[in-house]
Amino acid sequence: MLFYQNLRRDLVKTMQILKLDKKNLNEFIFSLNDFGEVHAPVKKGDKQFVFSKLTDFSKIKLEYTRTILPPKKYFHPPTDTLFKFSQEEGYQSLTEELRKKYVIFGLHPCDIYAIKILDLIFAGEFVDDRYFIRRKNVAIIGLDCIPDDKCFCRSMRADFVEDGFDLFLSDIGNSYLVRVGTGRGDDMVRKTQDLFKEVNKKDITEYKRRSDEKKNLFKVDIELSDLPEIMDLEYESKVWEEIGKECLSCGSCSMVCPTCYCYDVFDEINLDANHGVRKRQWDSCLFKDYALVAGGHNFRAERSLRVKNRFFHKQRGFVAQYGRPSCVGCGRCIEACPAKIDIIEVINRIRGAKL
Amino acid sequence: MVKPKIGIFGLTGCAGEQIMILNCEDQLIDILGAIDIRYFPTAMTKNDEECELDIAFVEGAVVQPKDEELLKKIRQRSKLLIAIGTCAVWGGLPAMRNDVPREEFLEKVYGTKGKSFKSIPAQPLKNFVKVDLSISGCPIEKEQFLKAVASLLHGDLPLLPSYAVCTECKMNEYVCMLVGENKLCLGPITIAGCGARCPGYNIPCHGCRGPVDEANVASEVKILKEKGFTLRDIENRLRSFAAQAEILQEQFKKE
Ligand code: SF4
Ligand code: SF4
Ligand code: SF4
Ligand code: SF4
Repeated sequence: MLFYQNLRRDLVKTMQILKLDKKNLNEFIFSLNDFGEVHAPVKKGDKQFVFSKLTDFSKIKLEYTRTILPPKKYFHPPTDTLFKFSQEEGYQSLTEELRKKYVIFGLHPCDIYAIKILDLIFAGEFVDDRYFIRRKNVAIIGLDCIPDDKCFCRSMRADFVEDGFDLFLSDIGNSYLVRVGTGRGDDMVRKTQDLFKEVNKKDITEYKRRSDEKKNLFKVDIELSDLPEIMDLEYESKVWEEIGKECLSCGSCSMVCPTCYCYDVFDEINLDANHGVRKRQWDSCLFKDYALVAGGHNFRAERSLRVKNRFFHKQRGFVAQYGRPSCVGCGRCIEACPAKIDIIEVINRIRGAKL
Repeated sequence: MVKPKIGIFGLTGCAGEQIMILNCEDQLIDILGAIDIRYFPTAMTKNDEECELDIAFVEGAVVQPKDEELLKKIRQRSKLLIAIGTCAVWGGLPAMRNDVPREEFLEKVYGTKGKSFKSIPAQPLKNFVKVDLSISGCPIEKEQFLKAVASLLHGDLPLLPSYAVCTECKMNEYVCMLVGENKLCLGPITIAGCGARCPGYNIPCHGCRGPVDEANVASEVKILKEKGFTLRDIENRLRSFAAQAEILQEQFKKE
């Protein structure tokens, strides 16, 4: 009974939503420095973007599409030194840098959704402390976005997030609606109280109009229901063989995926062969020795099996384990693949009547 | 602990690897504390030509009969033989045009006097002797050399990357030269270890570390052709550093 009462209380709890004039955004972002080192999307090269330390407000790209690496780099960095060891002093864990505070500004809903998926994974049977210490020290400020031709977050049901952020900004023209998601988000807003206004009727109408409009902007759509079943039926499809021929095992798709989390663990010994460090580093199921075991057997020696595994784990295996695909439709793997292997196309082919 | 006896040898090459070892300035004292260097003529005056060695590091390709002789002698006196640098591992730059008869080169470079040199098509060490470990790179990465020495002292072979340059390129969040900039980048088929140094400077990877295991050369060539590169451009790039690699030879035969 108590459980239901609590649930009901939760249901009626509403989220605070305020309004921030765009002309005050600069000042607001500046104030975030009190909560950690502010990082935001900036340009890299002619066409690409990365989350990087914000040194100059004019460099921030509010209209960015997607960054080369997803925000997972802040919680699960490409290479992470776990601990030092030596014969004399035994193990010494290295936790100093985990405590550095960051505020990441401008995450799109798919990226926030992806972090929620990583949370599930790193909170599994063995809770990953390093991940969660970092997670606690990184504030997340979301920002809504306009989909391009590689975005299919709506198909993957990751185009909207209800939590997973401290604040979330939605563009309504001259201002942003600011949803407050956490106590830390509340502190951020209180700190610059004068910048925020009440939301009025007109703002609500405009928000709803834009929300409706966004739905129609998606250029790609894939059908998700019964996809796991179809994938099982097409396990032996020649499609896998065909994309196996194109794939270079370059690993780019895994590196850039916001929900690929595999890592390798190894030691680095110093020249005295007496002390060293243990590290972990991003790994990929596309690598030829990923499923190689002692004795020399390789469970996925063929490239086609490895490509298939990636798609199956995203769209099939994860569903069985966690009730939804781990893909959030961010489009990064499509953009990064030199061989133009396109997850949308592959799914559509698999779903198609004729293969 | 008895210090292992080490020799550092150069066949036909630019001495780049040997210079790289000498460039480990911050670690040289530690290196000398851990190993007993018996042969390193590039760096020392007194060298032991005969003693048994625990580890021989060999740079350069086999380009002359006397390289082959020296290499076989090194093998005989060493427990472990480690090829260092792309020339030793893949044949490297000297093997770029093994399809051209040596006499032609000799005449072009040395005129009629060329006849007195004995030159054979450039080949990697593994074509002549058993190689226990390969550390490629043009030149090698200091870190990989140090890692190898440390691991060997510990009784293990070092764990070197077995994946492609693209993986390191992405980990460093560099802008892709191939996909975005349409440059002739060999990153997808080149073995990692350099931290994707060239894309980091907005230069496509030229494949100086040689091919990754099971490189999908056919797919790489197809991608580059679609981008408008001619087969000649592509083949020239593929030939630069590891023309002798079987996996690339297969491609050359196909075309
Ligand atoms: S599989 Fe591709 S589209 Fe899906 S989340 Fe990963 S990178 Fe994004
Ligand atoms: S990015 Fe493309 S080529 Fe590279 S491993 Fe992934 S699917 Fe294969
Ligand atoms: S720049 Fe070259 S090495 Fe880097 S990801 Fe692109 S293809 Fe791979
Ligand atoms: S990026 Fe390519 S060419 Fe440059 S150092 Fe690395 S392997 Fe060599």
